[in-house]
Amino acid sequence: MTYQVPLKDIRFVLSELAELPAVCTLPGYEDCNVELVDAILDEAAKFAEGVLAPINRNGDKGNTWKDYQVTTAEGFADAYHQFRDSGWVGLRAPQDVGGQGLPALVAMATEEMWCSANLSFSLAPLLTLGAIEAIHHHASEDLKATYLPRMASGEWTGTMNLTEPNAGSDLAQVRTKAVDNGDGTYSITGQKIFITWGEHDMADNIVHLVLARLPDAPAGVKGISLFIVPKYLVNADGTLGARNDARCVSIEHKLGIHGSPTAVMSFGDQGGAIGYLVGELNKGLGYMFTMMNHARLGVGVEGMAISERAYQHAVAYARDRVQSRELGSPNPASAAIIKHPDVRRMLMTMRAQIEAQRALAYYTATALDRAATHPHPEEKARNQALVNFLIPIVKGWNTEQANEITSLGVQVHGGMGFIEETGAAQYYRDARITAIYEGTTGIQALDLIGRKLASENGATARAVLAEVKAVAARLADAGPELQAFQAALNIAVDQASSCVDFVLAHFASNPRLPAAGSVPFLKLMGIVLGGWQMARAALAAQAKLAEDGADVDFLTAKLITARFYGEHLLPQVSGLTVAILHGGESVLALDEAAF
Amino acid sequence: MAILVIAEHDNSQIKSGTLNTVTAAQKLGSDVHLLVAGAGCAAAADAAKQIAGVSKVLLADAAALAHPLAENLTPLVVDLAKQYSHVLAPATTFGKNLLPRVAALLDVAQISEITAVESADTFVRPVYAGNVMATVQSSDAIKVITVRTTAFEAAAVSGGAAAVEAVSGAADAGLSSFVSQELTVSDRPELAAAKIVVSGGRALGSAEQFKAVIEPLADKLGAAVGASRAAVDAGYAPNDYQVGQTGKVVAPQLYVAVGISGAIQHLAGMKDSKVIVAINKDEEAPIFQVADYGIVGDLFSVLPELMTELSK
Amino acid sequence: MKVLVAVKRVVDYNVKVRVKADGSDVDVANVKMSMNPFDEIAVEEAVRLKEAGKATEIVAVSMGVKQCEETLRTALAMGADRAIHVETDAELQPLAVAKLLKQVAVKEAPQLVILGKQAIDDDANQTGQMTAALLGWAQGTFASKVELGDGSVNVTREVDGGLETVKLSLPAVLTTDLRLNEPRYVKLPNIMAAKKKPLDKTSPADLGVDVTPRLKTLKVAEPAKRSAGVKVANAAELVAKLKNEAKVL
Repeated sequence: MTYQVPLKDIRFVLSELAELPAVCTLPGYEDCNVELVDAILDEAAKFAEGVLAPINRNGDKGNTWKDYQVTTAEGFADAYHQFRDSGWVGLRAPQDVGGQGLPALVAMATEEMWCSANLSFSLAPLLTLGAIEAIHHHASEDLKATYLPRMASGEWTGTMNLTEPNAGSDLAQVRTKAVDNGDGTYSITGQKIFITWGEHDMADNIVHLVLARLPDAPAGVKGISLFIVPKYLVNADGTLGARNDARCVSIEHKLGIHGSPTAVMSFGDQGGAIGYLVGELNKGLGYMFTMMNHARLGVGVEGMAISERAYQHAVAYARDRVQSRELGSPNPASAAIIKHPDVRRMLMTMRAQIEAQRALAYYTATALDRAATHPHPEEKARNQALVNFLIPIVKGWNTEQANEITSLGVQVHGGMGFIEETGAAQYYRDARITAIYEGTTGIQALDLIGRKLASENGATARAVLAEVKAVAARLADAGPELQAFQAALNIAVDQASSCVDFVLAHFASNPRLPAAGSVPFLKLMGIVLGGWQMARAALAAQAKLAEDGADVDFLTAKLITARFYGEHLLPQVSGLTVAILHGGESVLALDEAAF
Repeated sequence: MAILVIAEHDNSQIKSGTLNTVTAAQKLGSDVHLLVAGAGCAAAADAAKQIAGVSKVLLADAAALAHPLAENLTPLVVDLAKQYSHVLAPATTFGKNLLPRVAALLDVAQISEITAVESADTFVRPVYAGNVMATVQSSDAIKVITVRTTAFEAAAVSGGAAAVEAVSGAADAGLSSFVSQELTVSDRPELAAAKIVVSGGRALGSAEQFKAVIEPLADKLGAAVGASRAAVDAGYAPNDYQVGQTGKVVAPQLYVAVGISGAIQHLAGMKDSKVIVAINKDEEAPIFQVADYGIVGDLFSVLPELMTELSK
Repeated sequence: MKVLVAVKRVVDYNVKVRVKADGSDVDVANVKMSMNPFDEIAVEEAVRLKEAGKATEIVAVSMGVKQCEETLRTALAMGADRAIHVETDAELQPLAVAKLLKQVAVKEAPQLVILGKQAIDDDANQTGQMTAALLGWAQGTFASKVELGDGSVNVTREVDGGLETVKLSLPAVLTTDLRLNEPRYVKLPNIMAAKKKPLDKTSPADLGVDVTPRLKTLKVAEPAKRSAGVKVANAAELVAKLKNEAKVL
């Protein structure tokens, strides 16, 4: 099954829900306009469909490691060179380092395409962008001049070396050592694991960003510094010099995303890898967090994107596969399974969530752009708070649901779905990591109730829920077909408010209680905010249907999908509310020994 | 008025598409004239006059017409066309190259690749890669038409006794010249673009038998060779032969599935073929659900018979 | 040497078109539109000629509705230097397009006009030949290889049964076949730059061309579906059916 970029929905979300025209008026984005974005979307879609999607199955066969070198799956290196030469890496990289400096919103649309087409591949440029962001914000002008232009062009790729065998979610445990060489460089020794695209054959150089600790640094998170450790040292004239003492000693055998090599990196086996300090000593973790927001939002997009691919695969199969007569039809002949009610339910469940997730993710990207560049400090701050609040929800909800949606994708195929050759299973396996890396769902949920909710006493949450309420009120005038949706959204938003109250009431005094229900709370917020976006989508679709030359098929489908969301997804909020408000004690009650 | 058909020929023989075009022309009127334009093409004209339904052969024999260059042929045809209601040629690369040039100089539309004649001015033709059939009506005085040859029967090559009339006036336009040609010999066509594909499945039993049974049939038909995933996995055929969801997607005019059960992944790669033939000993094999013609039987006995029949 | 490339905006090749309920036409409202794939090959060929130092300027031209601008922007992003849009809402048939293209060619005086051998919507395969006729130029149709000489061009053409090479004197019209080249993916910086390249507007009236259609579409229909399969008894019957019924042998 070939992937086709859902350009209509992407354009609808960009223009109707994520305010693309307004984003193009923000300072720094004046070169951007709707026609340009249209052209970019068309060409990116061609690339995703024509180059990246066809090699996705090859990637599933995995990479090979030999003598500290990784050979990527067939077609990956060529595709990367085309990707690099086409200039896609630098789409949202700053203009001063050779990027195009386009809004995060526009970048998100293209990144969705890369992720749907080939999730494993998409991680290489995504990590490069994260590294660019960190270096651009915090490194010296010298380091920026040496590394950024060639990273923004895609000539070199970037990685994040955070995790160690004993330092996963808790980076305070980082042990990798940095020693000042006295000549402006540091000698790095230690081992890092789970380094995505840590070694490969697609680019001339790999720029590792490594968290390490100086011998005399304070304990814990306040003693961690950030270093650039290139695979090849860079000479003063910009040419590549000696091979640095940073080697990939093995790659992991994984459940999914087999196309992306996950490296075990060893620094300093032969005396010490040369590293360059980024910014100031002992501030490394903070620097990492500046790009964490964007990275987490990116993983949220990954979850939605892999769901989209699974959905397209399932729809194609459901149209083709003929099995059993249609229930209630006088025709005795077997019918395509898309006619069977439960298959339709599965496909609608996939579709409705994907559309809501796309809308919420793009909405968040707009807030990210406003937080970065809005000329009014108040709007800037308001949007930053919005971004902070929405990101754990988009990351956690999109990726948790990606597991369910890709599982439904397998289910639609019946027994064929369990057979690897069919292709549905790869999406299911590939989706699994998204709820884990860049912070597991549990970490996102804790971040949500603590740093994002309790720390500001729920101000942003209440403001967002008030907006949801306002949109629900507008649905009241939107005709009979949306009344069930309106009622469900009203109930759900009230339940969400009571859950916010519950978290705030207990977080200071007994944090274990709301923490026990934090993932259900995150999911609840996802469903409610997804419902908010679907309500906005339905209202926009109704308005557009009244226009001349309206795309009736698309807009009608949007209204039906919104209705389905209201009738099938929003009611789940009631169950989650019970678990959040009343289920904490049973989570905590069982004696550890009894597990 | 009479109908003019432009014959495609190699100076000695009339190419078969001309015969189908004559049949299309007969649906427009009984007086069908055939233009044989070439150099040293008397033999072709001799063959032309015997085609059933042709009432007159126009023979333009000139050095400038040794190769069918549109630049040199066009003035001749344009000149003749003014005495005809319709000018037809087969929708081959020959006809497609020539007739639009003729039509433009007559200031008339050209009607491409008709598959049916509804009336003297109304025709059916495929658009959107054959996914839609359009019925079009021409308002021009002279209708210039190319004919999809597979849509019309071939006229009989004998039974006619047309008079041959020489026409003169052909000259070298001085715009183009023939350099060389390179005609495909027995090399098998590329799988994805082939008009006929013969595919083998696991029932072949071994790489040797795959080679011995599938390849001769493919060569006989001028076909590309394909294989099912099962046959490729078993090592009977190389990877690049694989047709299916994870292999190549093909849509030839004729797809012959030999010993292939028809797993859904295989069907995904060939179900858009125009005509599907299945040969399988399992009567219940799903491949028969999509096949236009099926033979239930052991491929090792059916294929030799098929080779014999094709040689007749 | 100047090269003129004609590009057509058509329904994207991935779209399966539907016939309108009343059978009057195909329904192309709100479907994805793209540059005709054969025309992409034409643009690519022109860009390669420029990259090889043989062409100095590439002018892309398109005829039709306002949105043809997008198609022209794509051609500019691929490497054309400037664009001309002959804007009209009228239905354009190949003869009319050829007349318009002739007028543009007369003004621009290119050495080569390159365009796709056919558009994937009407599948006419006429415009290049007609343009060559009206200009009185040589034509190299269904080109799979183009070699520029001094005042001439050698064109290898895909003909039934193989390849034929002809030598054409310049100026000439070329139409592209699939194997001429593989069009590049457009580069992001070039998409951005394309917005700043010149795009001039003209109209059939400006060019003095009457574009009235000569063919009227009376109706459109979906082709007959495949009839249910049959089992045949033996190889002889199969061959007979393939020859006489299916007509594929």
